[in-house]
Amino acid sequence: MGLTIGIDVGGTKIAAGVVDEHGAIIARTHRDTPADSVDATAAAICDAAAELIANHAVEAVGIGAAGFVSSDRSTVLFAPNLAWRDEPLGARVTEQLKVPVVVENDANAAAWGEFAFGAAKDVEDMVCITVGTGIGGGVVIEGEMLRGAHGVAAELGHMRVVPGGHRCGCGSRGCLEQYASGKALVREGRAQAESGSLAAVQMLSVCGITDPAELTGPMITDAAVQGDPCAVELLDDLGRWLGEGVASLATIFDPSLVVIGGGVSAAKDLIMKSAVQAFEKVLPAKANRPHAPFTLAELGNDAGLIGAADLARRPVPTL
Amino acid sequence: MALTQALTIGIDIGGTKVAAGVVDPEANILDRLRRDTPTTDPKETEDAIAEIVRDLESRHDVIAVGIGAAGFVDGTRSSVLFAPHLAWRHEPLRDAVERRLGLPVVVENDANAAAWSEWRFGGGQGESHLVCVTLGTGIGGAILNDGALQRGKFGIAGEFGHMQVVPGGHRCECGNRGCWEQYASGNALTREARELALSGSPVAHNLLRAAEGDPRKINGPMVTALAKDGDPVAVELLEDVGRWLGIGLANLAAALDPGTFVIGGGVSDAGELLLAPAREAFKRTLTGRGFRPEARIVRAVLGPEAGLVGAADLAREEATWLRRVRVKTTAVTAKTAAARGRSTRLERAARKTAGRRTGMRAAAQDTDLHPADLNGDPEA
Repeated sequence: MGLTIGIDVGGTKIAAGVVDEHGAIIARTHRDTPADSVDATAAAICDAAAELIANHAVEAVGIGAAGFVSSDRSTVLFAPNLAWRDEPLGARVTEQLKVPVVVENDANAAAWGEFAFGAAKDVEDMVCITVGTGIGGGVVIEGEMLRGAHGVAAELGHMRVVPGGHRCGCGSRGCLEQYASGKALVREGRAQAESGSLAAVQMLSVCGITDPAELTGPMITDAAVQGDPCAVELLDDLGRWLGEGVASLATIFDPSLVVIGGGVSAAKDLIMKSAVQAFEKVLPAKANRPHAPFTLAELGNDAGLIGAADLARRPVPTL
Repeated sequence: MALTQALTIGIDIGGTKVAAGVVDPEANILDRLRRDTPTTDPKETEDAIAEIVRDLESRHDVIAVGIGAAGFVDGTRSSVLFAPHLAWRHEPLRDAVERRLGLPVVVENDANAAAWSEWRFGGGQGESHLVCVTLGTGIGGAILNDGALQRGKFGIAGEFGHMQVVPGGHRCECGNRGCWEQYASGNALTREARELALSGSPVAHNLLRAAEGDPRKINGPMVTALAKDGDPVAVELLEDVGRWLGIGLANLAAALDPGTFVIGGGVSDAGELLLAPAREAFKRTLTGRGFRPEARIVRAVLGPEAGLVGAADLAREEATWLRRVRVKTTAVTAKTAAARGRSTRLERAARKTAGRRTGMRAAAQDTDLHPADLNGDPEA
């Protein structure tokens, strides 16, 4: 098969691109996400895709959506941060565009991008964690995406790591996403600044702000890169939660490789070091078993787009 | 006798007991043996296995031996990397036992073996996405997708008794704190019951009486028996374990999204006293609940012999397949080699599909079948 379109529907931006079979993006476009309206979101997706279809011979469209996608790869059952509830997104877009459309969970799409063309292209089994505002997960077993019985497997950000912990958008408490995501990083940073800690005040000044409410994740990462001790600690804490979470995943999946991607992974060693350390500390029987190495994702923000495009090319295997 | 009718021996090696049996293809156990596990010396354990097999073999015509071992079994199903309750450390069990017995031997993690039999004969029949949880002294686990045991890269997937569910929680034998098996296993049930009795609380009166006044004599089956008689404290103790069970299952559903959970092991004898609170907690903690299909949570049907039966059945599959693939692959490779010279790839494919059939994932870099075997004697 030749060209396909990959569309990554984020909370603020819809990014679309034409992707060839080697994972190269040969044309791009984007739209703002009308987050409050289901109809407008579908329209914006169609609009972006139509613009690309006008100039390229496209055989299928893959959409990566931040939500629980049913095993028909067309319906979004539930999205924690968007208005979708049992939304037949694939059917709607197919009807408009007249090309085959598959809908994938965005983190699954990103994981597939890394598996097919990025950091995990040389292995057959991997766990990929996308650490952005929230946490997304994707698992590949023997070269196949893990989808589960109902299509909603690998929601790794919603494994409970703290009984009665922080509230999560999914309705539960104590999900990993509340401890190891960009959202958690900002929450902890702001809380520390609001507590009046001198270290945090210093961090704010390194970030060039005075109001804790203005603090963002990338600011914290920048401050940490410049050596600010408070910012370094915040990322260190995040990395530790991440490593402990991945250790639990390793007891389930026993992967050959752990790929860490998403916006927060831009902090690189500032989270990876403590993550690997925590992982190796809590992995059961670590002295008597081989275990997976960690690596950073390679495709950056394009992983979801490239992965969705490539998944559009592949039918779900029937075993 | 047709190979598919042949008998095999299944051996379940636990922390305290070795249970063995001769099993037919319909999962009937025709003969049984039990003895204590020699836990200190790996050699003694091998001796015990060999003795048991010779004993059973003297009365039955068997074609293979399957061993379910309570430990981490490596990706090639030949070595036990680590066993928390036994002396095995990187123990090449399969080859050692095969050498002594002269029979094909399959080594499998005990929980995987139990899950295999639940999928073939028990509560998981027909389920494409099955997760089995065995609640014994600890927690064993197994994942079966489309009838293939998910073994992971190094053979130790499905060890989810050691998921951390409470940061800084109870100490676990694995070296960590807060592992699931410290909250939802038989050990957890016993620990909680003893603690309650030791606190001198009058609510533990029946519990203490059952244990003749000595809290250290309290055990899991005792709690279950009392709960079945309606003792409110025993019911509560099982409820607590059930709740932790449901919470852990919700975590597994977030990661694996199975269609069915089968709950086995000694603690599952409590039936609904355990499973009802588990389902409740599962529904209460599952991510995206209300907007997604949910897995069924059912009790295992094969009881304590699931591991034995599963190991025997895996041994039969392996032995049957070994002979069949030698015949088949010879034909395939000869034809294809002549046509395209791509025999190596086909051999690999043959091995891979066969691996699915026998519940074993193909080990890419190290397989126990050599190309020489595959091209070998069709009569073998």
